[in-house]
Amino acid sequence: MNNVFYWSIASVALGLVLIGLWGVLTRRNILRIALAFTLADTGVNLLLVWSGFLPGRTTPIIDGSVPAARVGDMVVDPVPQALVLTSIVIGVAVAALFVVVGVLASRRTGSADIRRMRELRW
Amino acid sequence: MIRTVFGLVLVLVLALLLVLAVPDVQPREELEGVGLESAARGYADTGSANLVTGVIVAYRGLDTLGEVVVLFCASTAVVLILTLFPLSRRPSRPSTIVSQTSGVLPAPIILFAVYFIAHSHLSPGGGFPGGTVIASAFLLVMLGSSGVPNSLGRLPAVESLAGLTFGLLGFWGVMTAGQFLNNGFLGTGTPGTIISAGIIPLISLAIGAKVASEFSGVFAAFRNTGGTE
Repeated sequence: MNNVFYWSIASVALGLVLIGLWGVLTRRNILRIALAFTLADTGVNLLLVWSGFLPGRTTPIIDGSVPAARVGDMVVDPVPQALVLTSIVIGVAVAALFVVVGVLASRRTGSADIRRMRELRW
Repeated sequence: MIRTVFGLVLVLVLALLLVLAVPDVQPREELEGVGLESAARGYADTGSANLVTGVIVAYRGLDTLGEVVVLFCASTAVVLILTLFPLSRRPSRPSTIVSQTSGVLPAPIILFAVYFIAHSHLSPGGGFPGGTVIASAFLLVMLGSSGVPNSLGRLPAVESLAGLTFGLLGFWGVMTAGQFLNNGFLGTGTPGTIISAGIIPLISLAIGAKVASEFSGVFAAFRNTGGTE
């Protein structure tokens, strides 16, 4: 029953996205918001990998158990796995900038609470 | 309170929309299009047993170069901001456990990462994750001492050399095969052995060195709380 695995991966991925969104909307500590953001980011990455998943197939690496002649019938889609690398790298870049700006802002206001960061309000 | 309720409502609405979309989603049974082409021809084209690495470094090498540039910009921005506005707080003294393990663990971690990078065309691995693992070893060293080791000042040189290697390997392809980042001009060797898959292992090493030095620089910028000057 491979579809159980298929749907559980999708559920975990979407659950991570929703938890991250909830955290971004409701938390007040800017570092926790950054953490929630990376959670949602991880969920999106997992969803991208999941989109290339074919039930009953194996990793796209050719070795003794996956002969080169039959590779088209035996492996999952390698392209989403390659594309997700871009997503992960950009996510890391955004998270790093997020944390730096958050740390600077919290030092300026003396607190990590976003309610006290009024400089960007209008 | 109102914030929590609002967030919960929004998240629940989104979850409901996603659940409603479930009947339209079916697992794919067969590969098609680009996926099928990459899986079926990747081994013969690139000589890389790991088809994902073949796609990342050979078919989409230019895109990977772009990712390296993105990471470079982000790490430069982080280091620049933290150099201009240093966090003027003394780092806390490391606990006994951290300072003891930081003398033992980095060597096996770096050995694992080098294996990880060097076998990226044969087994799961690659320059980006391997470089991150190396940087984690350096982070452990930094956490185990009360500051930043002086030898980390050589990181920018490593980073520049790695980026230069990536670019020159690309132009080497222009000179010999008339195509930027051409993978085949060195010959693809016997697929499945360590010396194979054209320039994929070399590019993986370059990416690994670059990512490791960039992340180590970012960690050092965060750790060097008194500012560099």
